[in-house]
Amino acid sequence: MTDLAPSASIPPEPRSEHIRGLIYDFIIKYGMLVAIGILILFFSTQNEAFLTLNNLLLIARAVSILCIVAIGVTISVSVDGFDVSVGAVTGLSVLLSTSLMVIWNVEWYLAILITLGAGLLVGLINAFFIIKLRIPDLLATLGMLYLAQGAQLMLTQGESVFRGMFNPWATERVQTTGDITDAFKQIGQGFVFGSEGFNGIPIPIIIMLVIAISVHVFLQYTRWGRMFYAVGGNREAARLSGVPIHRVRLLAYLLSALLATIAGIVLASRIGSGAIRAGDPYLLDAVAATFFGFAVLGARRPNVFGTVIGALFVGIMLNGLTMMDVEWFFQDFIKGFVLIASLAMSFFLVKRTR
Amino acid sequence: MAIQGLQAVGLGKRFPGIIALDDVSLHLQPGQVMALVGANGAGKSTLIKILTGYYDSYEGRIEIDGQGVQIHQPKDAARVGIQAVYQEVDSVLVPSLTISENLLMNQLVTIPNPLLSWSALHRQAEAVLAQVGLDLDVRRRVEDLVLHEKQMLVIARAVSQQVKYLIFDEPTTSLSLPEVERLFVIIRRLKAQGVGILYISHRLMEVSALADEITVLRNGRKITQFPVAEFDFARVSEAMLGSAIQDIYPAKAASPPGEVVLTATDLTRRGKLKAVSLVARQGEILGIAGLVGAGKTELLRALFGADGLESGQLAIDGKPVTLTTPRQAVQQGVYLVPEERRSQGVLLEEKIRQNISLPFLSQFSRILGLIDQLRERSHAVNLIDRLGITPPNTEAEVSNLSGGNQQKVVIGKWLTGRPRVVMFDEATQGIDVKAKQDVYAIARELAHSAAVIYAASDIDEVIGIADRIIVMHDGAIVAAFEADAFDRNLILEYATGTREKETHD
Repeated sequence: MTDLAPSASIPPEPRSEHIRGLIYDFIIKYGMLVAIGILILFFSTQNEAFLTLNNLLLIARAVSILCIVAIGVTISVSVDGFDVSVGAVTGLSVLLSTSLMVIWNVEWYLAILITLGAGLLVGLINAFFIIKLRIPDLLATLGMLYLAQGAQLMLTQGESVFRGMFNPWATERVQTTGDITDAFKQIGQGFVFGSEGFNGIPIPIIIMLVIAISVHVFLQYTRWGRMFYAVGGNREAARLSGVPIHRVRLLAYLLSALLATIAGIVLASRIGSGAIRAGDPYLLDAVAATFFGFAVLGARRPNVFGTVIGALFVGIMLNGLTMMDVEWFFQDFIKGFVLIASLAMSFFLVKRTR
Repeated sequence: MAIQGLQAVGLGKRFPGIIALDDVSLHLQPGQVMALVGANGAGKSTLIKILTGYYDSYEGRIEIDGQGVQIHQPKDAARVGIQAVYQEVDSVLVPSLTISENLLMNQLVTIPNPLLSWSALHRQAEAVLAQVGLDLDVRRRVEDLVLHEKQMLVIARAVSQQVKYLIFDEPTTSLSLPEVERLFVIIRRLKAQGVGILYISHRLMEVSALADEITVLRNGRKITQFPVAEFDFARVSEAMLGSAIQDIYPAKAASPPGEVVLTATDLTRRGKLKAVSLVARQGEILGIAGLVGAGKTELLRALFGADGLESGQLAIDGKPVTLTTPRQAVQQGVYLVPEERRSQGVLLEEKIRQNISLPFLSQFSRILGLIDQLRERSHAVNLIDRLGITPPNTEAEVSNLSGGNQQKVVIGKWLTGRPRVVMFDEATQGIDVKAKQDVYAIARELAHSAAVIYAASDIDEVIGIADRIIVMHDGAIVAAFEADAFDRNLILEYATGTREKETHD
């Protein structure tokens, strides 16, 4: 455009426009973080116990399973896909890992390995549906949601798994002899770096942080991450640039299912039993966290940092509301309201400033 | 007596950093065909958009029959009888509805009677079609129509809504010669009915055949206006481009071409490619001429492994290869600058740096696939400098770049590799003259070390850039022209199917 009327002067932006632009910029970039700050301040004025280290760690532990699932969703969204099977896969993982130990007397570490393998298989099947059968992502993973939920129920004939349960697969009424061992329970209930007067950091938080940091580095700083976003931004342009788009999408769905499975193992360990459909609530919260993440630092794209902040936001909100004795039946509504507000921030304002 | 017709007085439109239109005045009389010509980016589209109410704010005023009119949204334009037939007819038609429904959309939404009489509707639609001499079954769905039928439909719809001033924006880009003739018949009929017509095109032959007056725009300004009787090809091109026409193309290859790099034999894809064979040599630019839809894009995509083939062989440097994905092609050094820049060439939301490094990321990767951002950035700086991309900022988001600079990013992507065959598909569509010149220069430079294939539907462009030309029509190669033997009219006749392939026994 350099040859376009170089002599003509371009009128400068009026001052008020400029200031409005700066305010928009600030809201777009830091609005989410400011909102979390306000939320924390507000809750700590309402309840002294809120802003204590132990309560914050409690929130973080509660959030870490959600975080792991949400990072998986974030990966799927980063390739312009959408994995809605995650909650059901988390639930399947809970049931599979516990029933392996309780019903089939499998060692805890083997149970974990088999469960992880099953999770990868789910991701592979998702990818097969989407890439080979060309079913749209949302529909394929919706189908997988039912398949995984059904598999979960069939595994124990609809029974929850706990120590000493009757074996649903035995012809006679016999008690199972397997156990959910303490070693397994450590994953979800244990602490590290404890000291006098400090319980230590819950292991789920450590697991979550390791995953968050690795996936963040993967997406932001490696060539694979670059290709993920390229496929997500424009699949055809990526393909015509020589990006192996099938491999990228396969990997995205493998990772997404794997993370949902890990979340399930942590969840099973934390509750110490295999409750039926324990994974269900994670789907919507994970999707919400992913889209909250769009608004963090004005990213406007799926990103791990944003997703973690988004999950924290959901967790803080729920914990704070509970501590304020807000009835549980208000909570979903509030969540929906806040989600819309933050999405408006990232999409509407950005559009206005264009 | 007041001045008759549509008058635009001192129209202007600015965008941040760009003056798209600057003080342009125009007078279109009823029953007159005014041609508006100019290179891409000259301001033609901006002018139409103002007249049809696409923009809310702009400089200058619009008058009809001496009365000032306010045009700030599309319905304002429709109210005073201004309508446009855009190149992209698909965006103004609903493909899943019938011809009747599309034609009478306005009545359908405002009809007072909640019950529709379909037979009455169809009769009314048939009457509308008859006005433009179109004979189509009004019960057919629009998605089943071919392009020129859709275009006629849009014209018919405009006519049915008492159009007084009809604007055509590059209507013949995708039409075959007989279709163009039919369009001209309709335009002349409208003219006879007293409709004022603003005809935008960069095809000067058409303009001279159709227009009464010719107005030339360049860089957002009106350069000149004259009656068609004074039409002179060289004069108009010079007014359009601001320089004599030969200047924009680089010199042809000085030495005879080198080794054959790419050999394609009998490439066939049902309905798209019919036994296409060609060779591309290092040191020369092979031009592919042909109308839109002649199979140029399909051929290049096949050579790039982007679409499947039913049969045919490829060889690079004499060794047979199979290319089933673009990735394989890229690994062989076969690169494509695709037809659709925005949807196939660039990642709009990524930075220049990230776009440029995408095909060869492993060159910038260290252990664990971590990207060496410093090296990536300095590489981008080099390419931005070499290609003259503005803004010269590796971190600029590509969506904010002009079309020409986006195209340079697409080309820059491939300069990182080791090109053996570089293919350009309509590479200068929608970019300004300066950028075109740059693209031609890069193509020529690449031809020193690789084979370059350059496809375009603009025959003059192919003649200007190529050392050797093959002509495609209906999925087949119908003629070949060696350097020094380019015959514009002959190429045109082959491309339009007026002359058939000569068969040798």
